[in-house]
Amino acid sequence: MMVVNYVGAFALIVLGIYCMVAKRNLIKVVIGMGLVDYGANLMIVTAGFNPGGTAPIFSISELNMATFFVDPIPQALTLTSIVIGACVTAMSLSLVMKLKEQYGTLNTDEIRRLNG
Amino acid sequence: MNILNHFPIMSVMVLFIGAFVNALVGRKSSAARNGVTFVAITAALVMMLALIKPIMLDGEVITYWMGNWAPVEGWAFGISLEVDALSLFFALIVTVAVFASGIYSFTYMSHDDSQVNYYTLFLMLSGSVLGLVLSGDLFNIFVMVEIMTFTAVALTAFRTNYEGALEGAFKYLVVGSLGSTSLLVGIAMVYSQLHTLNLAQLSALIPQNASNPVLLAAFAFLFMGFATKAFLFPFQPLAADAHAVAPASISLMISGVLTKCGVYGIVRLVYCLYQNWDLPFVQYLVTGFGAVSMFICVTMAFNQHNFKRLLAFHSISQVGYVITVVGLGSILGISSGLYHAMNHTIFKGLLFLTAGAVQHQTGSLDLDRLGGLSKRMPRTTILFLIGAASISGLPPFNGFASKWMIYQATFQQGMSTGNPFFILVCVVALITSVLTLASFIKVSQSVFFGQLPEEYKDVKEVPVAMRVPMWILAALCVVTGVFPNLVEKFLLLPATNAVYSASAYIDHAMGADYAAAHGVFSNGILGIPASNCWQPATWLMLLFCVTCAVAIVALLGSPNDSKKLAISACDEDAEALDAKYESFFSGEEAVYSQVGGSDLFWGFKHNWRKYFSFMHDWHSGIVNDYTLYGAVAIAFVLLACVILL
Repeated sequence: MMVVNYVGAFALIVLGIYCMVAKRNLIKVVIGMGLVDYGANLMIVTAGFNPGGTAPIFSISELNMATFFVDPIPQALTLTSIVIGACVTAMSLSLVMKLKEQYGTLNTDEIRRLNG
Repeated sequence: MNILNHFPIMSVMVLFIGAFVNALVGRKSSAARNGVTFVAITAALVMMLALIKPIMLDGEVITYWMGNWAPVEGWAFGISLEVDALSLFFALIVTVAVFASGIYSFTYMSHDDSQVNYYTLFLMLSGSVLGLVLSGDLFNIFVMVEIMTFTAVALTAFRTNYEGALEGAFKYLVVGSLGSTSLLVGIAMVYSQLHTLNLAQLSALIPQNASNPVLLAAFAFLFMGFATKAFLFPFQPLAADAHAVAPASISLMISGVLTKCGVYGIVRLVYCLYQNWDLPFVQYLVTGFGAVSMFICVTMAFNQHNFKRLLAFHSISQVGYVITVVGLGSILGISSGLYHAMNHTIFKGLLFLTAGAVQHQTGSLDLDRLGGLSKRMPRTTILFLIGAASISGLPPFNGFASKWMIYQATFQQGMSTGNPFFILVCVVALITSVLTLASFIKVSQSVFFGQLPEEYKDVKEVPVAMRVPMWILAALCVVTGVFPNLVEKFLLLPATNAVYSASAYIDHAMGADYAAAHGVFSNGILGIPASNCWQPATWLMLLFCVTCAVAIVALLGSPNDSKKLAISACDEDAEALDAKYESFFSGEEAVYSQVGGSDLFWGFKHNWRKYFSFMHDWHSGIVNDYTLYGAVAIAFVLLACVILL
């Protein structure tokens, strides 16, 4: 059943990128960034998941080919990545807030003083 | 245990701890703030310099396992820092640039408020970049990339009221996050196949599984992730936007340090992790990206009216050189790429600092309004000219030596393989160099020479404290240019050797014979083919470059053309009635007409107007478009890697 997760992860990433490319509202662009991030997180956590595996508490000598557990490293990575994602969202939203104050709009077509 | 083994982690930690101490004590007193910053950046620099002897000269590799969690039974679970000559080479670049930028900030930022935030973010940026190049763990590289991107974005927007600062920062954040996600997806794919993230172990395992399609896709994602951080084409608009609005000391960091992280990542990825020595496709891919970036960015620089935005495009153009030759996969290619990467940090840092000095004293970066500052700021002018000569590749400065090696590397590759692609790349590199020179003639004309506008009559020279870091960088420009043999011996040869001998890197982390057991053998190199930059033929080449630059001015701006242009320009635009658009320059009116930078090469610009207007529209400034370019590039590389490899 893991295929569903991978398909879902890539679907989230593609949707997020679509949102970032097609939506002209800054808030929606930020939502798109969030979606891309969730897709990546889902992908990592799926990479380490074993259906029915136990908690990964072993010493190295107890490990053998038959031990069946959920890989803890991807979960640690995902946690880190979620925290980073939250920071990205917070930071971009604060920038959006300031941009709205300065430019008076959230439309990306009008926020292009730096071009050429 | 030798104290030197602890230096890598200490140098990273001292910067991060400095950041937090700064936030605690630096709120009130500027002396405490500057003191903490100075101690942190100096300590990091000194520690990296102390590592030169064991790593560069004795060829050691330092592996530091956090919490002493060494690999168990051939599996590296712990987090490690691993420093070989390649890492140290980039770490030296980083610490020197951080040092110059920090010293410069003390005066440059002294008029801003909430400086404590500036220095906290600055030290975190420095620490993350140093952590990135010293890290021995793929996921740590991702974390450091993220810290680096955030702090760089925050610092770009530091002067929130500066025109466009928020906008540049937001674009950088959005498109930068696309690159970071690409990196993260690549890391997830690598982990799902090989169940390890340690760089040394991956270097041993990946070449064994070279035909695994998931790993090839991971290569594409990782490559594009690092390419975003190096601002390669099509990510160059971000760099331009961010540089133009960031404080000059941060422009130095973005151009000199952040792009180098991308370069480091690409070298590490292509040659250590994937070890694609003779794969023609990877050569085409990396070299092609580099060549396109260097050409497009240098032409974009012609159109710019903002001093720092122009420098930003040149910066990416120079990074394009580095990536171009790194992609060749020859000894000369990699060593010249590393050499140019180092030189780029030095001269581009110097140029950004002079731009900052101009901004600090005049309050403007507009090339059309500035002028004649050489009368008021002679020392800054000299420093700028040193930097401009270096970036244009004029002897005896460092840009000449490394660019010479670059031409040689591309030409040799073309000759030995008989492939017209590499000859074309060599020609593009030469043309780009000529255009760089022409473009810097334009900048020096519009900022430092010509008429001094009325409003800048009372401009003063910048304070000594700001000139010191500029002189340090200028001296480095000369030293690394005049003594290329020393640079080669102490820095380039060990670093190139490290690129070629992944097995030493692997064995030191994973235990002896791990590399050999996985089929990775050392192919260390003995020397770099001579760079020959002091031969008469090189001076001939210089003459050729100068002649071309003069020819562009002389031929394309010939009197007949300009008359026609003047007439057509008059029709379109009332401003064109300015005396300087007349067919000849004389008489009362013309004397007082300022020849601006954009007037110098207008013949050239007129002949290429379709291309320039296309590129101008392409850099639309809309964040959605930039995301689209990035997504298309990632999709392209992904498809190409999976289908063609």
